[in-house]
Amino acid sequence: MNKIWIIARRELASFFDSLIAYVIIIMFLGFTGFFTWLTGNNVFLMGQASLQVFFQIGFWTLFFFIPALTMKMLAEETRSGTIELLSTKAISDWEIVVGKFVACLLLVIIALTCTIPYYATVSQLGSIDHGAVVGGYLGLVLLSAGYISIGLFASSITNNQIVAFLIALLIGVFFHLLFDIMGFSLRGAAGQVLNYLSMRTHFDSLSRGVIDSRDLIYFFSVISIGLTFAQAMLSRRNWQS
Amino acid sequence: MKKNTVIIRLMVFALILVVINMISSKLYFRLDFTEDQRYTLSKATDDILTNLDDVITVKAYFSEDLPTQLISNRQDFEDLLLEYENRSKGNIVYEFISPNESEELEAEAQQNGIQPVIINVSEKDQVQQLKAYMGAVLLKGDQKEIISVVQPGVDMEYSLTTSIKKLSVTDKPKVALLQGHGEPIIQEVSQLAQQLSVLYEVETINLTEKTEVPSYVRTLAIINPSDTISAIEFSRIDQFMSQGGAVFVAYSNMNGDLQSGRLSKGADIGLEAWLRGKKVNLGSQFVVDAQSGSVTVQQNNGMFTYRSQIKFPYFPLVNDFPEHPTTNGLEALMLPFVSGVSYTGNDSTVSYSPLLLTSEMSGLAPTPSGVDIQKKWTQNDFREGPQTLAVALEGALAGNQLSKLIVVANGQFVVNGNPPQQISEDNVNFASNAIDWLSDDTGLIELRTKGITNRPLESVEDSAREMLKYGNVLIPILLVLIYAFIRRQQYKSKKQQWMEGNF
Repeated sequence: MNKIWIIARRELASFFDSLIAYVIIIMFLGFTGFFTWLTGNNVFLMGQASLQVFFQIGFWTLFFFIPALTMKMLAEETRSGTIELLSTKAISDWEIVVGKFVACLLLVIIALTCTIPYYATVSQLGSIDHGAVVGGYLGLVLLSAGYISIGLFASSITNNQIVAFLIALLIGVFFHLLFDIMGFSLRGAAGQVLNYLSMRTHFDSLSRGVIDSRDLIYFFSVISIGLTFAQAMLSRRNWQS
Repeated sequence: MKKNTVIIRLMVFALILVVINMISSKLYFRLDFTEDQRYTLSKATDDILTNLDDVITVKAYFSEDLPTQLISNRQDFEDLLLEYENRSKGNIVYEFISPNESEELEAEAQQNGIQPVIINVSEKDQVQQLKAYMGAVLLKGDQKEIISVVQPGVDMEYSLTTSIKKLSVTDKPKVALLQGHGEPIIQEVSQLAQQLSVLYEVETINLTEKTEVPSYVRTLAIINPSDTISAIEFSRIDQFMSQGGAVFVAYSNMNGDLQSGRLSKGADIGLEAWLRGKKVNLGSQFVVDAQSGSVTVQQNNGMFTYRSQIKFPYFPLVNDFPEHPTTNGLEALMLPFVSGVSYTGNDSTVSYSPLLLTSEMSGLAPTPSGVDIQKKWTQNDFREGPQTLAVALEGALAGNQLSKLIVVANGQFVVNGNPPQQISEDNVNFASNAIDWLSDDTGLIELRTKGITNRPLESVEDSAREMLKYGNVLIPILLVLIYAFIRRQQYKSKKQQWMEGNF
């Protein structure tokens, strides 16, 4: 656990020492802020003391930003050969993957924390349902964790960052959009399974303010499968045929 | 490690996750963090189910081959019925029937009042129309209640519980609507009548034809009368109150007409004087509130005609409710062209509660005058502070018996009219809650207002709104930039120290 935390801290520090963290956070805040407050169905146009507008924007914004955040995490290590250097230390591949996962998740949580003024403003202007806000933020965190694990898996199967980005986006499109659309157009068991696989179904359920064990198990399944597959792909250099 | 071993391990791991997810879909728990416990069964439902003394059978008619989005509706309904069955200790039994299976079952569903919903589904690259059944029939002996379409969400609990309540109440108390003075008939207050029908039998009463209000009437409702009520009728109402009867009055002594644009004092129909006798005074000016509803205005701009929404302070939007059973759980009511109401009595045997208050930014508009929709309202128009729009009195209001009276200074807020227009759910909820309180039956108040999601934002001035908008976009970004700058400076100064050899 200690090693995971050391890796996570170092990764997080490297985000903030380079421009990546600032660009990601500022772009995230810019996009969500613009659509939550200034244009489209913004908070004042809806006239309701609710952060649903922000959660729906965040749902889309994070979907695009997380692959950009994770694309270099393992691909760059493999390309530059620093992964070999890391493996000479007493650190397992699992600790590397989880450490990087924690770092990315912390960065997303920091970005989400920067939106607390939205909550403060809306709760000052009306009677906001605090439970729904907690559910919405939890939904965004779990959604991000799911996409980060998918992004790390994508980053683990190639040493090209752009390819990693595109693969993460491609897998993400299924969970974010296609399973949802297919689930709605199909009937029977296939439709139910696809609907269950859709992130939107589970995110919408959480953002109402209801913590359902089925949604939690779904998100933890996606996260653990993404991380396990990423670890397996990272350790393929040790595979014997 | 061998490649095949890794692949097998990954597959086993994925399989375990699939099994866990399958089990979790059957064995699960939910924590409801919503403020009003919207997704948890309410106490009202619990009470009704616990007090059931006979078995109620629920026949749920749901088509088998529904599109995915509707399957979850069926699943939710089944989960709900299972919980009802458990809480009622077996007094609720249910079965699911698929009407698409045979023509007999389809005919049975239609005979029971369940109408199919036509849904478009795309299949094999073609849009097809599907006849889907999603209704339920509740049976108790020879009594029957129909839920023709089961709506998803909170409405599911409300419709199921109210249907059970309707079946379980054998002898419903009566609510009488006063008629004969231009009041709306039952069909013109259809939303209110429908809600009241759960607990009461709603009937009309004309006091010119009857010598008294029958003693079986629990509450007399006087809604939006426009013609004179005679002194003899008032004496009959007083006699009813002196025997413990309760009265609900929704009336404004002012006339506001958006079509003609005229604001004037209404004709004297005697009700104002009767209320004065009870120390309740209706105001003689219109209440205006910066926190208000809107009207749609058609505007011409050159060749183009467009519609826009303009805030209209003559339609106060009330969302400040003193603690009272009648306002429990309400979010917002809109009362068009309303006057104020006050209570001037100081009799210690009568308890008085204000029920509806306008916002701090309220004012009074004199009559007669015209309505100018385009008027530029300023802060000076809203200097009177909160105005009371409804009051509740309890005590010896006529004679020595304990009686109750609620007066709302607006008659239209609960009228659907003819042709009927949909009115705000909370307007109807408030009137129903008021009648429940007057009739000493507050059982369904909590459930009625459960899931009301209107949480309006307070109105702010344009300049403040712009500041909030841009502040929320720019301040977080600015804080991140400041942090980046400080971190960069710290890094630079560290680098400088290293270059100077200070490690």
